[in-house]
Amino acid sequence: MPSIQLHPRSTASSTAATDASCFPITNPLPQLLQTPSGLALLELQGTINLSEYEQDTSSDGSSESNAPSYETPIGKIMFPDYSSLNPDDTKWMKRAYLYVGRYQRMTGEVKKLLRPIAVLQKRAGSSEAEELEVVEIVRYKVFFKNRPEPVNDI
Amino acid sequence: MATQGTPSILFTNTQPQQGFRLLEIPPELEELFTSKDAPALELKSPSAALAHAVADASGQEYVNLCTPTQTYRIRQVMSSNSLHILRPSLGQISKADIKVVEDEAGETGTLNLPDEAVTAIAKCGSTLELHIPPGGFSAVPFLEKSLALYDRRVGDDDDGDVAMDESGEIGLVEIRNLRDQVCADIPVSAVQCETGWMEICAFVDERQKVCWRPSARMRVNVWKRMMEGALLQGIDLEKQFLVGDLWKSVLDDGDDSEPPFPRGLLEAVVRRLCVPDERPALADEIKWASFDKAEVTKWVGETYLAATAPTVSSAIGRSEFLRAWKDCLPESWRDEVALPKLPQGAYKSPDPTTVFYVEPSQRQQVSKASTASSATAAKAKTTRNWHELLKTQTRR
Repeated sequence: MPSIQLHPRSTASSTAATDASCFPITNPLPQLLQTPSGLALLELQGTINLSEYEQDTSSDGSSESNAPSYETPIGKIMFPDYSSLNPDDTKWMKRAYLYVGRYQRMTGEVKKLLRPIAVLQKRAGSSEAEELEVVEIVRYKVFFKNRPEPVNDI
Repeated sequence: MATQGTPSILFTNTQPQQGFRLLEIPPELEELFTSKDAPALELKSPSAALAHAVADASGQEYVNLCTPTQTYRIRQVMSSNSLHILRPSLGQISKADIKVVEDEAGETGTLNLPDEAVTAIAKCGSTLELHIPPGGFSAVPFLEKSLALYDRRVGDDDDGDVAMDESGEIGLVEIRNLRDQVCADIPVSAVQCETGWMEICAFVDERQKVCWRPSARMRVNVWKRMMEGALLQGIDLEKQFLVGDLWKSVLDDGDDSEPPFPRGLLEAVVRRLCVPDERPALADEIKWASFDKAEVTKWVGETYLAATAPTVSSAIGRSEFLRAWKDCLPESWRDEVALPKLPQGAYKSPDPTTVFYVEPSQRQQVSKASTASSATAAKAKTTRNWHELLKTQTRR
């Protein structure tokens, strides 16, 4: 059985397999959640139900396809107690909101992961032998463990 | 306009999604991944034949993650929650769509597109966890299945290695390649493969270009032959010696005669027995060696017992065994010999006067079972929990 190579994060971190290098956009997330490649983790109880596209979320290799990517707005994330002026204060982590649409809100928090999570992806351009790559090591997640509650439009 | 109060971040979902895997990593792996010259790791699973021959406790297919020195079993843990991977948005959202979440992204300035948007690019329903089973990982059971047994009588000339003579001997690089081929199918780290390889004295026959594992009888014979050779040539095995000299002493006087066994085998035994700190890596030639007295005593006794009394039916007398064991050691080491010097659980006595050998794989089961039962017994004693008490009672 051939072994599969798992490569560490490339030192030129911005060239990670996500086409992260091509956006000059600043990361809007609080500093603590920012990673070199821009990847972050969000955990939800339940799923985001986008019925028509659901079929290809689990397959890998879909990143290879040349279909133009587009984004569907879901809602908004807020860290009500966060202030960029005082990033060392971690009290803000206790509260996070995820608005789904305009009238539902989930309450959650930012949690430090018990153990860091390495985000793995198939290495681009290795077609003959499968190779994996660590694209990021994430140490925090935004965790929404509660069900959505109705709110007024904000 | 400067953001006041609480900035809100637009959250979107990107199609098509990408494929990712999430791997939970222990601190030592985090260190490894973030170190400067981080090595590439390997995901290894045994070849189909090996997986069948070396049954796993879980009895299922598995994949191990191997660093250069360590091995982890990968376990996929499903979650009812969904983990989304976010990244800053590329801004490919139509303004019209925004209405879903925002009435007007106008004067209130609550939303500043697209700088303040993140998008989910993947969803993972499971994470991969790593763990090391209680006994750790060893290459030995795999090596025992994948290497052919080398068991020839010293001086046997029946293997017609006529064709081999012309091809000549192979170098260290080729020896290494042959060994690496064997280890490629063994789902543990390179260092653990090497440790296992040394443990069982596996060797590459430099003339036949074959990897072998010597039988216990063969190993004892090699040791005896080394002892005799060293005695004749005046090599003091208690001090540091040149392995090349020892090899010469083993050869018969006539220059043309066949060596009694491959040099690789002698080197494997020397490597196994030499002082651990001085043991060179398998890739390097072993030039000088000095023996570890305690290790030699233990190894010779264990190997001799394995060679002569491998089962209950072939059990031998204790005093006979002790005498033979002593005879296998240099004169001044004879006092070292005693049954307790054998590795724990290495022998059993069917009756007070005889002993026989117990395979390492059997030993572990014995010790595990005994510790497990004593642990539950201890637990039952300390606990006031009635079902714990009942559990042990029903077992008896």
